[in-house]
Amino acid sequence: MDRLLNIDRRIIFIFVLLGVAIPLLIDIHLPIKPTPTVRAVYDEIERVSIEDPDRPVLVSFSYGASTMPEMEPMTRSILHHLFSRGRKVVGICLWPEAVGLAQPIMDELAAEFGMKYGTDYAFLGYKPGAQAVVLNLGQSMAGTFPFDTAGTPVGDLPILAKVQNLKDFSFVFDFAAGDSMEFWWIPYGQEKHRFPFAGGCTAVMAPDLYPFLQSRQLVGLLGGLAGAAEYEALIGVSGSATSGMEPQSVTHVIIILFILLGNTVYFTTRRRGGKA
Amino acid sequence: MSKIASWITVTVMALHVAAGAAMPLAIEVYDTPNDAGGSLTLTWSRAVAGASSWYSVYVATAADGPFRLATTTATPGLKSAEPGLFGYDDDNDGYHVLHISDYATGNGEERESLKDGTTYFVRLGVQTAAGEVVGAALSATPRGNLFNTSKWNNLILGIGLSFVILLYISMARRKDLFIRRIAGLEALDEALGRATEMGKSVLFVHGLKGMDQIPTIAAVSILGRVAQRTARFDTDLRVANVDPVVMSVSQEVVKEAYLQEGRPDAYRPDSVFMAATEQFSYAAAVEGIMVRDRPAAHILMGYFYAESLLLTETGSTTGAIQIAGTDSYTQLPFFVTTCDYTLMGEELYAASAYLSREPKLLGSLKGQDVGKALIIGLLVVGTVLATFGVDTLTHLFAAL
Amino acid sequence: MLFLTRTLPFLFCFVFGMTGWVIYYVPHEWAQTVEREIALWLRLVYAFAYFLGLFSLLSLHWSKIRQRQAGWAYSLIVYISFGVMTLFVVYNDGHGPFAAQATTGPYQWMFTSVHVASSATMFSMLAFFISSAAYRTFRARTPEAAILLVSAIIVMLGRVPIGAYISDIIPDTMQWLMSVPNMAAKRGILLGVSLGAIATSLRIIFGIERSYLGGGD
Repeated sequence: MDRLLNIDRRIIFIFVLLGVAIPLLIDIHLPIKPTPTVRAVYDEIERVSIEDPDRPVLVSFSYGASTMPEMEPMTRSILHHLFSRGRKVVGICLWPEAVGLAQPIMDELAAEFGMKYGTDYAFLGYKPGAQAVVLNLGQSMAGTFPFDTAGTPVGDLPILAKVQNLKDFSFVFDFAAGDSMEFWWIPYGQEKHRFPFAGGCTAVMAPDLYPFLQSRQLVGLLGGLAGAAEYEALIGVSGSATSGMEPQSVTHVIIILFILLGNTVYFTTRRRGGKA
Repeated sequence: MSKIASWITVTVMALHVAAGAAMPLAIEVYDTPNDAGGSLTLTWSRAVAGASSWYSVYVATAADGPFRLATTTATPGLKSAEPGLFGYDDDNDGYHVLHISDYATGNGEERESLKDGTTYFVRLGVQTAAGEVVGAALSATPRGNLFNTSKWNNLILGIGLSFVILLYISMARRKDLFIRRIAGLEALDEALGRATEMGKSVLFVHGLKGMDQIPTIAAVSILGRVAQRTARFDTDLRVANVDPVVMSVSQEVVKEAYLQEGRPDAYRPDSVFMAATEQFSYAAAVEGIMVRDRPAAHILMGYFYAESLLLTETGSTTGAIQIAGTDSYTQLPFFVTTCDYTLMGEELYAASAYLSREPKLLGSLKGQDVGKALIIGLLVVGTVLATFGVDTLTHLFAAL
Repeated sequence: MLFLTRTLPFLFCFVFGMTGWVIYYVPHEWAQTVEREIALWLRLVYAFAYFLGLFSLLSLHWSKIRQRQAGWAYSLIVYISFGVMTLFVVYNDGHGPFAAQATTGPYQWMFTSVHVASSATMFSMLAFFISSAAYRTFRARTPEAAILLVSAIIVMLGRVPIGAYISDIIPDTMQWLMSVPNMAAKRGILLGVSLGAIATSLRIIFGIERSYLGGGD
């Protein structure tokens, strides 16, 4: 029993590995039900598409290579939804690594929906400064991002012709793998200028952001791969998040089984020996 | 200055609809309160429910024109949607509101922004069955405001709490204050003593945030206390950094601590070093140090993200004593499960005061507790009032 | 010397601390300008500080290589990786260092195939570490721990489709757990943390706490 209590962690690792690998090889269909926080993002984009179709949407990419497997599916599904509704989209990066990760996705999806660079979408790249960038954006878009990644002055991009600052966007969405939503966008952007704001984050960050949903500082939230899978279900696209739900489900079950096993062994040992 | 006093011009006029019936609309134009300038606000009585109207706003720099179109809308907002500007009056639902910051120049799509200090004349037009009816010109001057009146509650709370904290700091000079035992900090000496006995090093990690963040400042303060002890015990201290500014500050802090303990010779500049600038490269570098150098104690203080579990789970396999402290709510469960001691939330901020036993610093902790008691009291009263449908207290504390 | 190491930093702390506080309440353009300038200077200071970080990183690894310390080969890898990536950035897929960053070429390949892959690997190791940590420590030793354990199982199941597959009650209960008890705990911690942050800020602004400058009080 003691050996089971102090099981070699590599045995647990093997089970987790199998729990991820096998469902990737065998297709198990599990229904995905969107939660209200994810549906709220979908509804907001639909609302903006009808009520505020002229002003562009700002998407901010604040994630890096490590969280790409979790963040890329939601980037794809949100951009897919925006472009499919003909929204004009301006992309910026608050993390340096995000440029190389987000720009190819934006270009690819824009091409899929026939969006023209400069008129229908633009990518302005990275600017260092974290919350200082958000502060500056609240005052001047062109002052903060004078050029796009190709070196074109933003004044020459028709999509930004009527944009002076953050208030001129119909909707702002942040893809966050760190502080950006809670500590940059909400206090220095949304709180100051009151624009419709939503975001997507890694699963571990999601509980931190729930209070902002209740205070309506966040319209909606996509949490981790599960949030992305729910969004894929809403827009009717089966992407990598949907296929990732099966390994994630199995892994969660494996962890639960291990916790239950650990407790069973613990109580059995305690009953026999009076201690564990 | 109150909103009423800041109004530049208040005029009430009547519009006549096509049917000939008088339809008075209380139109007011004034400088938009609580803004940086360059904006005017227009309010008027809400349209009768069910009746759809199309509104246009015209702006001119002279009373006799020419008037240029500033904006048109069929769906103007309501005063009740902007409590930051108009408060929570019951009749706010009965008024429309529009903010104007520019107007068409008549030269293509070119627009002219409103300038501070210039008096503008504003006319509201309403589309009726018989055509557009335009009201009389009202004047107002936009200007930047020196105080955001919607933040009164924040200012009063901030001053109040600061006063309580500073009061207890000054009181602390005169009498002893009791501070409850914090196990994680009591264990710090034990961990450092163990490292000394074993002849091994102590590893200090201060999270991923920059020097402008409170948890990092708290972590650097703790580093100062830890460095004083390692200097005293002649124990090797290693500080792995992810942020160059934090690294520079930490170098100074450790150097000063060694100097103060009379051991400047024991300070090695490369003991406080840059491990990496990326989160997981940093985690890999620190894990490498834990596994290769086998420090006897790992002290992790500051704000952590997903790397927390990678660090402490690896650290737990090396047999080192692990003491963590963070105000990162999502990472606390990971630290609690893998570390020997964990400082939770505000305990991190209290650590420096606790370790120094400096009365002034301990006084601030006492002040914090009194502040917390005040907030708990307000929460209880607010919850009871809100349950009975009285929103006064809720509105008083709303962040606008 | 004392002026430079003590008095001047305290003055900076006091002036910038108070300025930051006052600016929060002043919407006027003057305040916005000050805020913009401070934010700009912050960015500049950070940009220069990165040189210090780079110098520290390279000098640390250089001394390891020179003294043939344990694991010095890793330090050599740091130098090789740094040199190779710098070369690729300057080469910029044939466009040179002054053109906009190319989206193809060896730098992009190294970024996606080496950096992205290894960072994602590190992140995914969390799944393994969470499992072993949970197994070792998640025990229903007390009634409170038992409640925590049941809640954790509901949240773990509710976050993935298998929860809804078993019963619709699981995701609904998960949502409730996240929005009510989780939020209550979060707010409790948040209030304490915020008060702690106010107290720490005051101690620093008024020069009561000085240990962050090194040495005593």
